Amino acid sequence: MGTQVKDVIIKPDAPTTLLLDKHADYIAAYGSKKDDYEYTLSEYLRMSGIYWGLTVMDLMGQLGRMNRDEIIEFIKSCQHECGGISASIGHDPHLLYTLSAVQILTLYDCVNVIDVDKVVEYVRALQQEDGSFAGDKWGEIDTRFSFCAVATLALLGRLDAINVDKAVEFVLSCMNFDGGFGCRPGSESHAGQIYCCTGFLSVTGQLHQVNADLLGWWLCERQLPSGGLNGRPEKLPDVCYSWWVLASLKIIGRIHWIDKMKLRMFILACQDEETGGFADRPGDMVDPFHTLFGVAGLSLLGDEQIKAVNPVFCMPEDVLQRIGLQPELLS
Amino acid sequence: MHGRVKVKSTAQQEEEKRKEREKKLKVYISLRDACFNKRKDGVFDEEALQLTQQLLSSNPDFATLWNYRREILLHLEKEREKEEVQKVYEAELAFLESCLKVNPKSYGSWHHRGWVSSRLPQPDWNRELGLCDRCLSLDDRNFHCWDYRRMVVKASGVSVDQELQFTDRLIGSNFSNYSSWHYRSTLLPLLHPSQPPSPCHQPPVASPTNSPQTHSHRVCEEQLLKEYELVQNAFFTDPNDQSAWFYYRWLLGRAEREEMISCVYVSREGERVAVAFSRPVHAPSVGLILVLDGQPQQVEWKSSHPRLRHSPVWICELPPGSVSDINNEHNLTVHWSEKHTHRDCALYTGRTESWCRDSATDQELFRSELSVEKTSVLQSELQSCTQLLELEPQNKWCLLTIILLMRALDPLGYERETLAHFNTLKEVDSMRSSYYNDLCSKFMIENTILKMEYAEVRVFSLSDKNLTSLCHLDQLLLVTHINLSSNRLLRLPPQFAMLQCVEVLEAEDNTIESLEGLYHLPSLQEVSLRNNQITKLADLEPLASCPKLTRLDLRGNPITETENVEAEIVKLLPSVTDLLL
Ligand SMILES: [Zn+2]
Repeated sequence: MGTQVKDVIIKPDAPTTLLLDKHADYIAAYGSKKDDYEYTLSEYLRMSGIYWGLTVMDLMGQLGRMNRDEIIEFIKSCQHECGGISASIGHDPHLLYTLSAVQILTLYDCVNVIDVDKVVEYVRALQQEDGSFAGDKWGEIDTRFSFCAVATLALLGRLDAINVDKAVEFVLSCMNFDGGFGCRPGSESHAGQIYCCTGFLSVTGQLHQVNADLLGWWLCERQLPSGGLNGRPEKLPDVCYSWWVLASLKIIGRIHWIDKMKLRMFILACQDEETGGFADRPGDMVDPFHTLFGVAGLSLLGDEQIKAVNPVFCMPEDVLQRIGLQPELLS
Repeated sequence: MHGRVKVKSTAQQEEEKRKEREKKLKVYISLRDACFNKRKDGVFDEEALQLTQQLLSSNPDFATLWNYRREILLHLEKEREKEEVQKVYEAELAFLESCLKVNPKSYGSWHHRGWVSSRLPQPDWNRELGLCDRCLSLDDRNFHCWDYRRMVVKASGVSVDQELQFTDRLIGSNFSNYSSWHYRSTLLPLLHPSQPPSPCHQPPVASPTNSPQTHSHRVCEEQLLKEYELVQNAFFTDPNDQSAWFYYRWLLGRAEREEMISCVYVSREGERVAVAFSRPVHAPSVGLILVLDGQPQQVEWKSSHPRLRHSPVWICELPPGSVSDINNEHNLTVHWSEKHTHRDCALYTGRTESWCRDSATDQELFRSELSVEKTSVLQSELQSCTQLLELEPQNKWCLLTIILLMRALDPLGYERETLAHFNTLKEVDSMRSSYYNDLCSKFMIENTILKMEYAEVRVFSLSDKNLTSLCHLDQLLLVTHINLSSNRLLRLPPQFAMLQCVEVLEAEDNTIESLEGLYHLPSLQEVSLRNNQITKLADLEPLASCPKLTRLDLRGNPITETENVEAEIVKLLPSVTDLLL
């Protein structure tokens, strides 16, 4: 009788120190193998991939090693007539990649290299009557896209372009019995979605609408004996979920409800000592996505070798300070 | 990028793999370019469907290719006869099913299936429900499939009742299924709302658009009792299955609080009004009107603290001289026009202050963490859980539920047992001890508020109780003396500024580093912060906004070690005449 707790076991020889130099080398090399099969397969999310790589490099103080001019030219070539930005050349524009592009240009302090007015118009036109956002013209609705929309506009200082009240109403209609949020009204709570929705409510200054005690309880129950966090009950721990849960807890002012030391040990154990980079779980293959969320997670946990990260935008705090953006956090 | 185990391989294996990947890359690139070129040339034919199919079957996240397929399908829709169109779309569904078999968690495939279903001339919703059943039987937590099922249910008009029976079946075969319990939580309030919504008895159609905001989201009592039984079966079968416990806590939850103005306070000397609301609001934008002796007043509402854009407590200054003559009686009304509610408050002759409110006890604020009144049912629930705890003395879920039941039944009567259970909880689940500390603090604060209300005093005293955080501070609007000494507080948060009447604050022997909340407290005279962690002069800055502060005890704080500190403090806080360092 009884459910087995799904979890991983951290081996005694797993890394316990932060291998920053290796991670920087891993990311710097990642973009240089452009004729690699795996790399080509991930073309459909390239813009986000670049954002993950640049952000983690900036957090580690290594942004200078990336090819700024090439990246900026690439982004310019990915803006479409409609104003939206695609993952790569030949792909269609989407809110996901529009946000990534605006984040990258904000890191590089040069949003004006693209047509900002057109980006704003693209985002505005994707808002639906019920306040929700479609990801692109094909109409998929998801609270992730609500976050992408307001985060993009906030970075551009243009939140006033949309109907914020309606947008808030929709996100709140996705709140569940456990205080969490799902993709659409009625969808089950999920840590990634909770991150998007609490982030959305932070950007729009509506965090008082969250049941922080209830949601915080659900979130801190994501921590497993290994120290890692999962994204839903009865799932395995994962570095990226560790970030989403941790950032959500930070946003609602409850980050102290988890065992920070144990989470730190889990994240460190997901490093690959040979290649650099972080995997989803100890012993798996690394990738830039988990490398960013591993490093950003350690930053939220207070690691002083890494720049402070903003839990809402997943960007360095100093960058947001420079543009005067201070999203709300509960205390 | 998920769950790919790293395997060690020899140099030769590596070389073979590299060659193989090179080959695959060539094929992939030529296919991709063929698709892109055809699209660029405006070709929307069967061959393009073939090409995109080859790529999508192994890489369903390539969103642009789904877009291209949709363009092709729309084109064929225009060109072909209706029957042909049906066939084309049926073929698309078959292709999608094969994609979903390989990759059941692809956003792109599921969205495309929804799109195809909505365009199908003759949709077959039963087939779609069947697909969901098969998919959920392989993975009963696949949220993409659950969402698709909800879309199908909505489009085809499946009744809420049928869907509830569906969750009965799933839960019956496996209690440990968070997704099913979640689904129940959205269905039950539709089927058995806590208040009958309308006299019409049409069976409602599942529409998951009902949110906690628009709906009471509560369940009627009769159904609630049945649910208790179901959940109890679940957690007696597997006491470590968190799904059932989460659901149970929701069932135990209380109904949403009525939206109202809970308190209006007026000070004659301060020529000031403070208003408390049942939830945080942004007063300037909710249509707040203050009427003094029949005259609407032009006032500026200020949040209790500038960091709280939404606050349950708002303050305004009255026009100079408007209430200052102690021989005059005044009548105040605050209207919350957005909610069509108001509260009156009379300031009688000879009185320096006045208030009108519903107290925490009036509103049953803390007791009714439960919406059910039937004490006997809760009592028997408590008995069952206590029995379970005897079998499973380390079970944290059971311990926490017992605490919640005790609070619902008699928060003061069970105080000692509650504290004991909290101590056990922190031992068996030490990872979450900070959560339990904060929750216990909350319950202790609630109990102290209840005791204060019963005693009809304005003194809040809660020392030596291991408090780690403060909450419900809006309930302390009228408190004049507060004692928080010998706890484990780290700070006095911005919300502390809601204590608009506080005169004396004792907070000795904590580890307080921040005094952010000691801000614009008009009556604050004495503050004792002996043995805390105040380190810098800047930490004291908020106190400069408290005009009546005369006594400040900072003995035993790191700040006292600073050079020249006395002169600096005197400069910062000129009203303080009694400074203890
Ligand atoms: Zn992951």
